[in-house]
Amino acid sequence: MSGNYSLLFLCFFPMVGSIISYLLGRWNKKVRDFFADGVVLVEFLTIVVLFFKASTLNEEPLQFTWNLFCMRGLQLELDGFRVLYGSVAAFMWLLTTIFSREYFAHYRNRNRYYLFMLMTLGATMGVFLSRDLYTTFIFFEVMSFTSYVWVIHEETPEAMRAGQTYLAVAVIGGMVMLMGLFLLYTATGTLDLEKLLPAVHAVWEEKNAMLFLSGALMVFGFGAKAGMFPLHIWLPKAHPVAPAPASALLSGMLTKCGVFGILAVTSNIFLHNPTWGFWIEMIGVVTMFLGALLAVFSINLKRTLACSSMSQIGFILVGVGMQCLLGEENALAVRGTLLHMVNHSLIKLDLFMVAGAVYMNLHKLDLNAIRGFGRKKPLLMFSFLMGALGIGGIPLWNGYVSKTLLHEAIVEYTELLHHHGGNVALFKTIEWIFLISGGMTVAYMTKLFVCLFVEENNDKKKQKTYDEKKNYWSKESMVAIVLSACVLPILGFTPYLTMDRLADLGQEFMHGEAPLHKVHYFAWGNLKGGLISIAIGAFLYLCVIRTLLMKKNEEGKKEYINAWPEKLDLENLVYRPLVEKLFPTVFGAIFSFLDRYFISVPFVQKVLPTVFGTIFSILDKYIIQIPVSVFVTAGTFLTRVESSLGDWVIAFLRKTTHKQLGYERSVIAEDKLAYTLGVAWDDLDEKLHHDGQEHPSHVAQLMESEEKIVRTFGIIKGSFAFGLLLAAIGLMAVLIYVLMAS
Amino acid sequence: MLLVVTVMVPLLTGVALILWGNARKTPFLFIEGSTLLTSVLTYASIFTMRGQEVRLFPLFADLEISFHLDGMGLVFSGLVAFLWPLAVLYAIEYMEDDRRQNGFFAFYTLTYGITLGIAFSANLQTMYFFYEMLTIVTFPLVLHYRDQKSRSAARKYLYYSMGGAAFGFIGLVFVIHYGTTTDFLLGGVFSAVPEETKSILLMVFMLAFFGFGIKAAIFPFHRWLPVASVAPTPVTALLHAVAVVKAGAFALIRLIYFVYGAEFLKGTWVHYLLYSFVLITIAYGSTMAVKEIHFKRRLAYSTVANLSYVLLGTIMLSEAGLKAALLHLVIHALMKITAFFCAGAVMHKAEKNYIFELDGLAKVMPVTFTCFTIAGLSLMGMPLFGGFISKWYLAEAAVADGSVMGIMAILVLLYSAAMTAIYMLSISVRAFFPKKDFDTTTLEGIHDPSWKMKTPILLFAVLILVIGVSPTPLVKLMSLVAGGAL
Repeated sequence: MSGNYSLLFLCFFPMVGSIISYLLGRWNKKVRDFFADGVVLVEFLTIVVLFFKASTLNEEPLQFTWNLFCMRGLQLELDGFRVLYGSVAAFMWLLTTIFSREYFAHYRNRNRYYLFMLMTLGATMGVFLSRDLYTTFIFFEVMSFTSYVWVIHEETPEAMRAGQTYLAVAVIGGMVMLMGLFLLYTATGTLDLEKLLPAVHAVWEEKNAMLFLSGALMVFGFGAKAGMFPLHIWLPKAHPVAPAPASALLSGMLTKCGVFGILAVTSNIFLHNPTWGFWIEMIGVVTMFLGALLAVFSINLKRTLACSSMSQIGFILVGVGMQCLLGEENALAVRGTLLHMVNHSLIKLDLFMVAGAVYMNLHKLDLNAIRGFGRKKPLLMFSFLMGALGIGGIPLWNGYVSKTLLHEAIVEYTELLHHHGGNVALFKTIEWIFLISGGMTVAYMTKLFVCLFVEENNDKKKQKTYDEKKNYWSKESMVAIVLSACVLPILGFTPYLTMDRLADLGQEFMHGEAPLHKVHYFAWGNLKGGLISIAIGAFLYLCVIRTLLMKKNEEGKKEYINAWPEKLDLENLVYRPLVEKLFPTVFGAIFSFLDRYFISVPFVQKVLPTVFGTIFSILDKYIIQIPVSVFVTAGTFLTRVESSLGDWVIAFLRKTTHKQLGYERSVIAEDKLAYTLGVAWDDLDEKLHHDGQEHPSHVAQLMESEEKIVRTFGIIKGSFAFGLLLAAIGLMAVLIYVLMAS
Repeated sequence: MLLVVTVMVPLLTGVALILWGNARKTPFLFIEGSTLLTSVLTYASIFTMRGQEVRLFPLFADLEISFHLDGMGLVFSGLVAFLWPLAVLYAIEYMEDDRRQNGFFAFYTLTYGITLGIAFSANLQTMYFFYEMLTIVTFPLVLHYRDQKSRSAARKYLYYSMGGAAFGFIGLVFVIHYGTTTDFLLGGVFSAVPEETKSILLMVFMLAFFGFGIKAAIFPFHRWLPVASVAPTPVTALLHAVAVVKAGAFALIRLIYFVYGAEFLKGTWVHYLLYSFVLITIAYGSTMAVKEIHFKRRLAYSTVANLSYVLLGTIMLSEAGLKAALLHLVIHALMKITAFFCAGAVMHKAEKNYIFELDGLAKVMPVTFTCFTIAGLSLMGMPLFGGFISKWYLAEAAVADGSVMGIMAILVLLYSAAMTAIYMLSISVRAFFPKKDFDTTTLEGIHDPSWKMKTPILLFAVLILVIGVSPTPLVKLMSLVAGGAL
């Protein structure tokens, strides 16, 4: 372990704090709440101190190494970009934690929420501070799993389903990323971001295909968390079902961890590589447009915001793509990407907390139900408006600055292409998609704003209760939300003072240079892009949302309708069937088949005996049995004949020469002896026992025995005759033999 | 002599317990004490007896039964000696209401001695002798409950194991005939074999691989393992996740690296054939685990897959592969014993056997399910958990392998990791996050087990985390063993 221990502290202090807070929470909930606030505050203050040190002193970035950690070691660094994003993260955690106290007041399982919230803070810090892709990966995985608990916090069926999707994407993404890391490590021999660029240069010629593959795998993993098309499926589902403070962090911070990874890969492996840039650009354009389109159609407050997040990630990816395409002159793209990341984090923090305030009071998010809630609530309106203006890219708000930079980057590339005589049609189209997406952002934010703060609810009674609700948030929630809202215009009004400096601080991470000339954000050329978007937005709002996406109900009042076809859902249409049905069915079927018919008991007990049994029984019946039975029958016959020959002789003699005479059969016995003996025994018995009981008479018993003896003697007598006869025959035979022999 | 004493202590304890009979009260202190003594003796042997040869008695001709403790034996005996006393502690609570306790502990302790015998074996015939004995002494443990299911399971176990041993015996005979010696020698004993006998030796190797591989549950001879999970949980956890099945893997490592030699086998048709069988087993085990709804059988299928992870490292026939295999051998033992012990705790305390019955159980058994989740995440290969380390080295060895098989191995590992996530996490999710309208009154009266069961579970779970965060000592040890330096 060596280096600056404050980096280690930033990553592990919240994790240790989370466990302490859990134990405290089992004892006292109030103390736990304060303790959690304290942990986040300490974390925030630490990073703020480091932030000011980094931005004022021009020192070498802080580093920390723990070589024995988890095999390949833990490598942390705190350069400008990392300290900037660490600060943003800590800031977001601070405000959401403050807001959490009121938001979760009536929730179950709060202890679990705080445990995983603080753990995720540590893991997120780890991701942003990591100097080595291996370290990034470890913290990234921890973050994926701990944030799963946020998504399913409410434990409703929708939340569980969204959580399932989230987990599946996280697991698959993590594994694919790991494979990318393996390939990268095999190709270059290092995962250290500092050493990666020269290492890649050294092997680029021979191994570029492998590097592209590993890059694609890693971007798959990071992009899954960022909500990149086509891995965005979890995002519009998971963000709305999570509790609002968690949604703010999921949308604002966790997606940025994915973007951080994509940036790390892009600027350290594919620095200024146009092929790579082109593909990222294309994915970015699709994500940007699709997200905005989904948001326009959505009629759920948090879902709209979630889709908007996806769209903004698309904007950021467009910037990343432009960094590669522009090559050496990518200053605008670098700064635009960076600032848009920061802006989006801060804006989504504000917007999701406002949505949380609405949900906290109404427990509804459907636009028709919450319509008119914000009327006569100026602070709530202010907070939402700041976020809406910011994300809509309205001049003087922060989103405008970063979108302008991104737009300028596209314009610059188109000009460059034109200058070199290339075909500019594609990038002209991209520019227009960019502007239209910006327009759609304005349109859906207007939709939300008008719905919440301008229109009245269709239900008059409801509107009345909404209007009367003055006590809709606690002091501390109010401070947190309004504070998060105030940051946005402050940044937007003073772009040269604040945002340019942030960009200077962070651009080193992407190997960006300061721009050749200062960008005049409020010059006509730059304002024009913003104004076109606003015009498109106004047009879309009036002509599409107010007409096509609203319908009159039975009472003749206009309602928001969900016009997006239910069936058109990438997850349910493609991914779920693939993972849930196809894989298990195909593999399962193959293995069950093998199992059942080849190696199982039935195979041994049924199939084998049947097959061999049939063969043997055929042999048995038709080939073996006939001769055997013939042989056996003949043999039996012959032996019978042979053995009964003597009997036949005797029977023959008896019928002929020795025929018995027909005399009367005499009475066998007179039974006198038996009778006498029996009577005597009976008397004796009676005398001996004296118990007066009847005893069976011995007479019958003795008579039976006597008769048996007499009969046996008769048989013996008869047999003697036969015996003598046979002896005589024998003697005669001997006599004949002797005569013949002599 | 220390080695002999170490093996004899549990054997004599077992015999004494058999003589003691089932009717009398179980002498728990005696059993635990003698198990601990054996473990202490084992560690004493590891530190003092390494490299010495102990001749027991001659068999015939110049074949001997003898012990010799080298690096491989050190790893296996060290692992077993660490787990056994804790498993006995667990078993004491688990078996508390059983009628045939003494018989159970008798054979359980006998198995300990036999397993150590396998670890200490100096040559193939000694190992074969103890290997056969292992089948015999574990057979009554599978049969323990004496009902229809356990009888058929025990019969199956016996048929498979005895059949396997017959093939192993063929291998033994050929090694005696053609090899220079039957002693285990890193690099093999077939240095002076003429070319024409090579093909017959490869054929015999295949037979011997499947023969010894039956205990390591290689497809298609794995069927006995899921069925044998009818045995009491301490048996399933220690024997069918560690001692018996790892003895199979251990025997295969001995056979491949110390009898035939990696160089002899590398690139032959047998190598690729067995490689593909190992990959099929991994895919098979993880798929079937997802489809299985019986708690312990699901874990048993997972064992089938994970044993083949060990065999995958083994069959790569490289030093890096052997190192990864040994790492997974040790780490998987910890993970699976934790998972099985948790399953056993659920069966013992809540009397639930199927996964769909586990809803909400984590609310009343938090320790058990937290540890189960740690084991599950580790099995998946989450960073910071032990399983990640061994999977990392396996994948690294596969990438370094560079052949088509290596790429296939990576794909299979990916697929298996996804399946592992499904079959392990779905249990945790179910237990921790029941459906919203879940009726909690059904859980009344269920609680975590007492310290006897909890201590081993917690200890193993913590160890998984410790290895995950700081694996360097273990990895170094395995490097030394795989390199033949120990």
